[in-house]
Amino acid sequence: MTRVLVADDSETILLLMRTRLELAGYEVETAADGQEVTERLHEGDSRSLPDLLLLDAMMPRKSGIDALRELRAAGVDTPALIISAHQDATDANAPTDLEVSGYLTKPIDFDRLLDNIADLTS
Amino acid sequence: MAVIGVGRFIQQRQDFEDAIARSYQVEMGARVRVAEGTGGRAARATVAAQADRRSQLQDQISSDTRDTAILVAAGLIAGLTGALLLFSGLIASMRRPLEELVDAAGRLAGGDRSARVAVGGLSETATLGAAFNEMAGELELEASQRDQLDRLKDEFVLTASHELRSPLTSVQGFAEILMLERDSLTPKQVETVEIILDNCRHLVRLLNDLLDLARSDAGRLAISPKPTAVAPLIDDAVRTMRGQTDSSKQLLTQQIEPGLPLIEVEADRIRQILVNLLTNAHEYSPEGASIEVTVGVVGDDVEIAVTDNGPGIPESQLEHIFERFVRGDAGLTQRVGGTGLGLAISKSLVELHGGMLAVESTVGIGSTFRFRLPIAGKPVGGGPSRAIAEAG
Repeated sequence: MTRVLVADDSETILLLMRTRLELAGYEVETAADGQEVTERLHEGDSRSLPDLLLLDAMMPRKSGIDALRELRAAGVDTPALIISAHQDATDANAPTDLEVSGYLTKPIDFDRLLDNIADLTS
Repeated sequence: MAVIGVGRFIQQRQDFEDAIARSYQVEMGARVRVAEGTGGRAARATVAAQADRRSQLQDQISSDTRDTAILVAAGLIAGLTGALLLFSGLIASMRRPLEELVDAAGRLAGGDRSARVAVGGLSETATLGAAFNEMAGELELEASQRDQLDRLKDEFVLTASHELRSPLTSVQGFAEILMLERDSLTPKQVETVEIILDNCRHLVRLLNDLLDLARSDAGRLAISPKPTAVAPLIDDAVRTMRGQTDSSKQLLTQQIEPGLPLIEVEADRIRQILVNLLTNAHEYSPEGASIEVTVGVVGDDVEIAVTDNGPGIPESQLEHIFERFVRGDAGLTQRVGGTGLGLAISKSLVELHGGMLAVESTVGIGSTFRFRLPIAGKPVGGGPSRAIAEAG
C-alpha cells in the first residue's frame, strides 16, 4: 500500500488529512513538525521511508522547507508536496535550490491533492 | 556734514552783514567829516576805501556761499548713499531667509517631509523660520505615524488571512468528507453540509479578496504577464459560471471575434476579473436574464465587455461601485453572495495590466463593464514596474 507521511503542526489538519487520504486508500503516517520528519527518516530503517512527503511549509521547530532541504542534502529523493497557508506559495516563488514536486495552498483542494499524489506515486 | 555746512553758511552770512554794517558806519563818519570840512583828503579816501571794502566783502561772501552750497550738496549725497546702502543691506538680510523659506515650503508641499530652513537673519525672519521648522516637524511626525498605521493594517490583514486558512481548511475538509458519504445522510443533512460548504467557499473568496487588497495597498500586488490566448480564458470563465447561470435560467453567451491576437496578461488574474464581473451580472440580474461576454480588437488592445440586461445601476451609485464593500441595492435585499470587494480588486487588476475598467449602466436596461488588455508584443502604458503604487 502506498505510504504518505504528512507533517503539520495542527492536529486537526493531521486528522483531516489522515481521514481523507485513508478514504482514498492510502496508508498515512503523521508528524507534528519538520524535526520529527527528519528524525524519523534519519533512523535509516527502510520501513520509515514513505512513498510521498506532504509537508506544511511553516511549522515550529523546523519548517517543511528546512526539513526537505536537510533530507535532500542527505540523499533522500522521496517526492514531496509543500502545503502553505500563503497564497504566494506557488511554483514561481519556490526556493529554486529545492527539489519539490509541487505546491498547494490552504484551504486544500483535495481533488487536486489526490490527483498529484496519484501521479507522484504511480 | 550738511548740517555743519548749513551752520557755517549762517555764521558766514552773519559775519558778512556785520562787516557791511560796520563799513557803512565808517563811511558815514567819513562823509560827515567831509561835509563839515574837518576830514580833508583822508576822509574822502576812507569813503572810497569803504566802497572797495564792501565790494570785496560781497565777493568773499559769494565765494563762501558757493563753497558751502557744494559742501551741503556733498553732505546730502553722502547721506543718501549711506541710507541706500543701509536699506539694501536690510533687504538682503531679509531676502535670503525668505527665499529659503519659499524653497523649503515648495519642497514640503512636494512631499519632502524633511524640508527645513536654517534659522537666522533678522529676528522676524528667524521667528518665521523657527515656526516653519516646527510645523514641518509636526507634519513629518504625523506622516510617519500614518505610514506606520498603514503598515500595521496591511500586516494585520495579511496575518489574519493566513491564520484563518488552517481552521477554514479543517471546516471545509471535514464537510467534504461528510459529502463523500452523502448516501448515508438524510436530505436535510445533505442540505446542511451544502450550506457549510457554500459558506466556506464564500469565506475563502473573502480571504483571497482581502489579501489582494492588502497587497494592492502595500504596493505588493504584482503580476507576471505572459502572451496568452484570449478565447480559452473566456471559455474557462464562462464554464465556471455556467452551473450558476443555468440554475437561474439565465442565458450566458459569448461573442469572440475570430483570429484574436495573443494578449500580454497573467491568465489567472484575467480569469479572476471575468469571474468577478460574471458573478455580479449573475447575482444582480433576475431569473431568465441574458449575460453576454463580447471580445474584439480595439486599436492596440483587446477589449472585453460583460453585458447584462439586469436592473441596471442608478446614477447616484455608479461612481461608488468600485469602492470597497459597496454593494448595489440588490446586494442588500437579494441572495447576492459577493464580498463587496470584487469590483475594487478587478479595477486594481485591470490597472496592473495597464488598462482601465469602465462601466455603463441604464436603470431598467442593464449594465456593461468593459476593459482593455494589451496585445502581446506591443508597448504598454503601465511602465516597467507593474505593481500598483498605493491605491486609496
